Amino acid sequence: MTADPITAVHDLLVASLRAWRVDGSVTRAANGTLELTARGAVLRVSRASLPFRWMVSIGERSRGVTSVAGLLRTVRRVVDPDHQPNRLRIAPAPLVPP
Amino acid sequence: MIPVGVLTGFLGSGKTTLLGRLLKSPDFGRTAVIINEFGEVGLDHDLIEASDESFVELQTGCLCCTIRGDLVLTLADILRRRDDGAVAPFERVVIETSGLADPAPILHALMSDDLLAARLAVAGVVTTVDAVNGAETLGRQPESVKQVAVADRLVLTKTDLVGAPPNALIARLAALNPSAPVLSATFGAIDPAHLFDAGVWDAPGKTPNLPAWLADVPHHHDTIHDPNRHDGRIACFALIRDRPIPAVALTLFLEVLAEHCGADLLRLKGIVDIAESPERPAVIHGVQHVFHPPAFLARWPSPDRRSRLVFIVREIPRAFVETLLAAIEAEVHDAAQPA
Repeated sequence: MTADPITAVHDLLVASLRAWRVDGSVTRAANGTLELTARGAVLRVSRASLPFRWMVSIGERSRGVTSVAGLLRTVRRVVDPDHQPNRLRIAPAPLVPP
Repeated sequence: MIPVGVLTGFLGSGKTTLLGRLLKSPDFGRTAVIINEFGEVGLDHDLIEASDESFVELQTGCLCCTIRGDLVLTLADILRRRDDGAVAPFERVVIETSGLADPAPILHALMSDDLLAARLAVAGVVTTVDAVNGAETLGRQPESVKQVAVADRLVLTKTDLVGAPPNALIARLAALNPSAPVLSATFGAIDPAHLFDAGVWDAPGKTPNLPAWLADVPHHHDTIHDPNRHDGRIACFALIRDRPIPAVALTLFLEVLAEHCGADLLRLKGIVDIAESPERPAVIHGVQHVFHPPAFLARWPSPDRRSRLVFIVREIPRAFVETLLAAIEAEVHDAAQPA
């Protein structure tokens, strides 16, 4: 069974805070909105209509993101601003010789 | 393609002795050796006696730091000299790192350079571990921990001094890197055939050699942590999926891992049941944020058609990796539903 996206993202945000070693919490409201609190910031994460999939709100400001990848990037910029992200690099070397 | 092996191990762990013995073996002829030594004046290359068909190049400085580009230049140079007939037509390359080197950036260099990638293929990382002092070194030197963690083969050296390998050391090695077979060398003597054969393919036949590549991976669902507090940052675990993974989910998964885990993703290798390619599994291999292009096998190598991903990580909780893949799978599944 594939988890529903809200539950899956809730669990991911909880695990992400631990992975980033950021003290914080994630709660889920009855309407499905997630509230992440960390380092003095409060972020609300909710489902968004297309073309976005998630809406991240900080105070009065809201930002739409199109994927879990974008969601994590947005959240981490707020709660872990010193993180230096890497970009996936595909090497030219083949894994199996031609 | 010319296989390139990386020989690493902490200072005094017996790399040069092992290499010296290997080069005297008829089965290890036609080998180009690049020795990296940390310091202005290298000595190790003087201790290596190569046959007529092999030769030794020396680099100084730390391969994993500022002179990684020099490694690329050295490799390109020996390939050019091979083409020109200026050196013996070597059939393999071995890079012996300094005892303080981190092997991961060296793998990056081998994987990432266009020229090298067209001619050289990584044949594995062999790490020597001193049977006498290895446990203490692992406790004190984080470099040695990483060298063990990224190895494809572990070679216990100086076993003649201790008789049977110490159980505590064997347990530590198994905890740090359960997928790497542990071999023993006495006075550097070991069968070369068992060392640099850790690529995903069988070099002579160019056929997938997945059972060896994924040998003894922890196919259970527990993370293996080294209980020693000095090494506790490094862990090995496997993710197993019974259901196919959509290609886009795998791509997103790797992108997010690279973005958020970067240097702490020491190695990731696995075989993946791609939803769009049910009969041809994809083999993936990455070091930190650098990945080979996925290789699609002609067929499944065994009746086991589950996706199996083996992670060797530093301070990346298993829960993050698991929930990340689950969230991406859920999103991709959700996106595929009719509006």
